Amino acid sequence: MLDRPTERLARPYSGETYYERAPLKPAHWDWTVSSYIFLAGLGGAAQGLATLARFADARQFAGLVRNARHLGTAASALGAALLVLDLKTPGRWYNMLRIVRPTSPMSFGSYILTAFGGLSAFTSFSEMVGRRGLVGRMLARLAGIAQIGAGVTGAGASTYTASLLSATSSPFWAATPRHLGVMFGTSAVACAAAALSLGERWAGRHASGRRLDDIAFFATAAHLLASLSWTRRLKREGIPEAVTSSPSGRTLNTGEMLVAGAVPLAAYALNRVATSNRDPALSVIGSVAILAGGLMLRHGALGLGKETAEQPRTYFGRAQPAQSKRLRDRR
Amino acid sequence: MNATIDRQEALATAETRIEPGKRYGFFTDTTLCIGCKACEVACKEWNQLPAEDMALSGTSYDNTERLSATTWRHVRFVEQMADGSGERAAGDGSAVPRPGDGPHNAAPDRWLMMSDVCKHCSNAPCLEACPTGAIFKTEFDTVVVQQDICNGCGYCVPACPFGVVEIDQLDGKAHKCTLCYDRLKGGLEPACAKACPTDSIVFGELGALDRRANERVRELHARGVEDAYLYGTPGSPGATGGLERLNAFFLLLDRPEVYNLPAAPSRPASRILPALGAGLAAVAALACLAGSIFAERPRR
Ligand code: SF4
Ligand code: SF4
Repeated sequence: MLDRPTERLARPYSGETYYERAPLKPAHWDWTVSSYIFLAGLGGAAQGLATLARFADARQFAGLVRNARHLGTAASALGAALLVLDLKTPGRWYNMLRIVRPTSPMSFGSYILTAFGGLSAFTSFSEMVGRRGLVGRMLARLAGIAQIGAGVTGAGASTYTASLLSATSSPFWAATPRHLGVMFGTSAVACAAAALSLGERWAGRHASGRRLDDIAFFATAAHLLASLSWTRRLKREGIPEAVTSSPSGRTLNTGEMLVAGAVPLAAYALNRVATSNRDPALSVIGSVAILAGGLMLRHGALGLGKETAEQPRTYFGRAQPAQSKRLRDRR
Repeated sequence: MNATIDRQEALATAETRIEPGKRYGFFTDTTLCIGCKACEVACKEWNQLPAEDMALSGTSYDNTERLSATTWRHVRFVEQMADGSGERAAGDGSAVPRPGDGPHNAAPDRWLMMSDVCKHCSNAPCLEACPTGAIFKTEFDTVVVQQDICNGCGYCVPACPFGVVEIDQLDGKAHKCTLCYDRLKGGLEPACAKACPTDSIVFGELGALDRRANERVRELHARGVEDAYLYGTPGSPGATGGLERLNAFFLLLDRPEVYNLPAAPSRPASRILPALGAGLAAVAALACLAGSIFAERPRR
């Protein structure tokens, strides 16, 4: 307890630091982790969309579902490899599954990823075997059940990464957990729809491609709205300059607002209005932009968390809640 | 783990009996610190930690600069001038004035010294983050990393609200103060506390330490040092945001930030549900939309 606090101890924080030294240590994570976050979002949401598409019309969306299954498998395999690469003692990767710890997103996330990867691999396998013969039909039936699991764990894989970053002390990650969750979630759905749309367009299945473009359009609109609210919230939480001034901040802003926001929205809207959705080129532009922007968002967000960990004023300014206020009120 | 410890040297050196199942910690009284760094040296010697790059930092006598994977005690030196320059004047973001800068070519008017260490948090964020179980709570209620389990994922590093734990680049494992786990098991008080010549660092059982610390604050207040307060005991600054308490706590004379400590740190795990919940809600909302788009009758 601050017994008899003097003036100086009770007044609001005014920027004191210890020789400008970093108050926190930043994570060592680099592009491998941000790429993993991107891949987990992409693959996870793709399997989620495939689950929904299968429920709506398994026959019409068979191609989409096949692509989503392979995408989920590839993304989780590549993502897991990237995570192991990032460990400082990679030979012990299996210790990630040594315990279950609900307070650690890295712990429960490892289980989500394992379940998602396993289920996706099974659905992929059934696609490769095909529906012929008794075995094929049985596999396809089982894969249909596994698909539901893949969709649910996919939703987890695409969003738990926001809690992974938020459950740290790095100011940028810790400041806005809810917004980070919404940003990662909306971006994951947009990226998945965009990637699947590319596949449909490539195969000439424009009808389902158009539906995916619609989904990508709405997800992008939600993403853009969320990012506008995020920017305001960050300012309130005391992290404005970091976002706009550093290279990571610029990557983040350009990624979320322009590349994964304005550009695809314009491309899809134009496609719809001007060519009544018949121009695959505009669709492809929109999809590629969403994917590039999604990657930029993750890279920028990762970098900003590491940068703000070393900014004493950003951290101390935020670590000042009720405490000093209550003391001031008591006087 | 109920085996009693036969040899109790700590009884003689710290007036503390070390018994598994009780809670132990440090009370670091910064008003007694003379900046001799005996704690840093004793820690390095006992734990066989290598020296780091040595250079003059230009920031008072603090050439150690930071806690690290191989430095588990770190003495800070805060020089303050009566006219408000020095640390406190740096609040506007301008360069930090150093002794010798500007008008006063003199010694500082007040010199705060503080031996920093891992806080052995009650709800330790590093432990809560560790996915491998490498970090655990010992039978003495201290927080220790098991290097034979750690896989170097690095999650504990940004989780710590005090910037303590670090991964060593050579062995790829996390390291930090163990509160001399090995010594406690042998009935010895931690090396830093034993070496401290002024008893600025006191090792003991938490109940006794809290009593001693509160007594000291009262004594200082009675003597006119009204700024004295505790950082890290239950309900005080540092023990905020769900951290409950810091087993290694401090008596400070100025704002926590002056000592590079956050006034109100928080427990990172409390942010899991908001992030995950909001993310899943956004995905679920978009999923409903996507479902209806997939189910729509063909338009053309
Ligand atoms: S101070 Fe940091 S390293 Fe020490 S117990 Fe607390 S969270 Fe862990
Ligand atoms: S680096 Fe080691 S001690 Fe730290 S969280 Fe990872 S496994 Fe646990």
